[in-house]
Amino acid sequence: MATEQLPPIPPVVAPRELAVDGEAAKGTPPTTTGIPGRERGERIRTAIAYAVMFLVAALFAIPFLWSVSTSFRTLADTVAGFSLLPKHWTLSGYHEAFHTFNFGRYTLNSAIIAAAITISNLLLASLGGYAFARLKFPGREVLFFLVLGTLMIPDQLRLVPIYLMLVNWLPGWVGHLGLHDVSFVNRNGVILIQLVSATSLFLMRQYFLTIPRDLEEAAKLDGAGYFKTYRKVMLPLAGPALAAVAILQFQGAWNGLFWPAILLQDQSQYTIPIGIANFRFAYQTLWPPLMAASVLAIVPILVLFILFQRYFVAGVASAGVKG
Amino acid sequence: MAVAVGKRRQARGLGSERAREALVGYGFIALPMAFFLLFFIFPVGYAFYISRYDWQIFKGDFVGWGNYRQLWHDTVFWHHAVRNTLVYTVFVVPLQMTLGLTLAVVVNQAIRFRTFFRAAFYFPSLAASAAIASIATYILASDGLFNTVLNHLGYHHNNAWFGEQSTALPSIIGLNAWTTSGTMMLFYLASLQAIPVDVYEAAAIDGAGAWRTFWKVTFPLLKPGHFFVLVVSIIGALQMFDQAFLIGGASGGPNYSTMTVVLYLYNQSIKNISFGYGAAIGVVLFVFIFTVTVVQRLLFGKAEVA
Repeated sequence: MATEQLPPIPPVVAPRELAVDGEAAKGTPPTTTGIPGRERGERIRTAIAYAVMFLVAALFAIPFLWSVSTSFRTLADTVAGFSLLPKHWTLSGYHEAFHTFNFGRYTLNSAIIAAAITISNLLLASLGGYAFARLKFPGREVLFFLVLGTLMIPDQLRLVPIYLMLVNWLPGWVGHLGLHDVSFVNRNGVILIQLVSATSLFLMRQYFLTIPRDLEEAAKLDGAGYFKTYRKVMLPLAGPALAAVAILQFQGAWNGLFWPAILLQDQSQYTIPIGIANFRFAYQTLWPPLMAASVLAIVPILVLFILFQRYFVAGVASAGVKG
Repeated sequence: MAVAVGKRRQARGLGSERAREALVGYGFIALPMAFFLLFFIFPVGYAFYISRYDWQIFKGDFVGWGNYRQLWHDTVFWHHAVRNTLVYTVFVVPLQMTLGLTLAVVVNQAIRFRTFFRAAFYFPSLAASAAIASIATYILASDGLFNTVLNHLGYHHNNAWFGEQSTALPSIIGLNAWTTSGTMMLFYLASLQAIPVDVYEAAAIDGAGAWRTFWKVTFPLLKPGHFFVLVVSIIGALQMFDQAFLIGGASGGPNYSTMTVVLYLYNQSIKNISFGYGAAIGVVLFVFIFTVTVVQRLLFGKAEVA
């Protein structure tokens, strides 16, 4: 098959597998307590592993806890020598972030962009994924290969052409549809160029492939068309994959920096990350509101992560490693 | 109604049913495919096209390889952007891999709270780079937490780590080794769990200790995992943008010490409005990344993680 020559595909685990066995670690080395004389060594090993894990977890947590602590401080408190907790707890950091520095607006912008990208990914990737998994049409393999090939095209190569397309061409095209003076060097552009990703489509297709065909056959016998089968039979069964796509896309769009940095030039359109970037250069050491804004950027993703951990893992590779 | 449609469908025979299915298939993929063609496939060619013109705000003269020749002689590009990106890659990749593998091995033990630890180690990879970068700036500020701790340990350092030419890039390397280690851990975890249990059992029966088992059994068996993580790390490192942009600003300060290839590309295209030149940088970077991928595949064989 054509996919043989592909670049290494991220090790996307079928979301259902994750949903079913969750954290069950199939390859975990067995404990060797059955062998005499091993027990003590084993216990020491376990103790060391625990110690290392707690230490590392603490190290990992400190920056986040420190920023939370600072977000509740007064500015004077941040330069008044070391203290673990704020000397005077205050919400003024958050108040300033929201009211003086416009982060309320930025949060709304981030939410709008992330929601739009998530919804359109769910829609387009499930439609396309269903067709690639189930419907037979000439050129299917080639087209799917093309979709996966887009994973090899770095954003940096697309920067200039896409910017010029958004500035020069798209307003004209949309003008033909009767929508005049629509700009794409703003939120519209950020959403438009992320409407669907190859990863979303791939995840959906792989999941649809695991659904038994009997159900569709039954729907067909009942006289259901392809779209009805997709909507009434396949979509309701694809919950875990849809969840994985939604979470991945939301997280990616919420944290996104590259395209917003290029396309969001008007302050009223800034997202939280862009707001933070500009705040940093303008106000340098105004730590409490900056930390409040950072907490604001992190908390929604943290909540999602705690609620839906397994789905994050399902699509981990897709996000790749963006520096 | 349904019966009538069904009969009609049957009457038209298998051939038309197949045509219908194909038509529906094309209909379903039409929007996604149009999107991929317009915003992914087409821009590859268009980028090359733009790179052959003297293209500022408006399209200018055809200059052939002019932009590439200019890039060849661009000292900021080679002495700062490329150099920093390579230094960054050479240091951050082994760090990420070592950290990722260590974490993966530790959380792969049959141990309590395993899920919690995995989550805790993975989370920094998920948090917004902008938030992480500002937290890091705060902690590594001249009077920040890090210097406070160092002073207590008797090592006096009173400068902002991101503010000085000599420490800015190494600090970013450390920061990113940390934030990406969780992702690397998950990659390694996937390949660790692909190792069959009986291999460990055999090693245990032979009396091999944990350390020996790791180096003689686990590490070599992880070869496909190593390859995959290496490729992903290198490609990610070559594309580093977020932290450089957030910490050094578009100009890669102080004094170009955090200028990377992608930041330079951004700088030239968006700040300087030199689209032709920016496109040329994009093409060069793409060719380089592509070559790295191909060379690694030739050297290490196929990745089998997927």
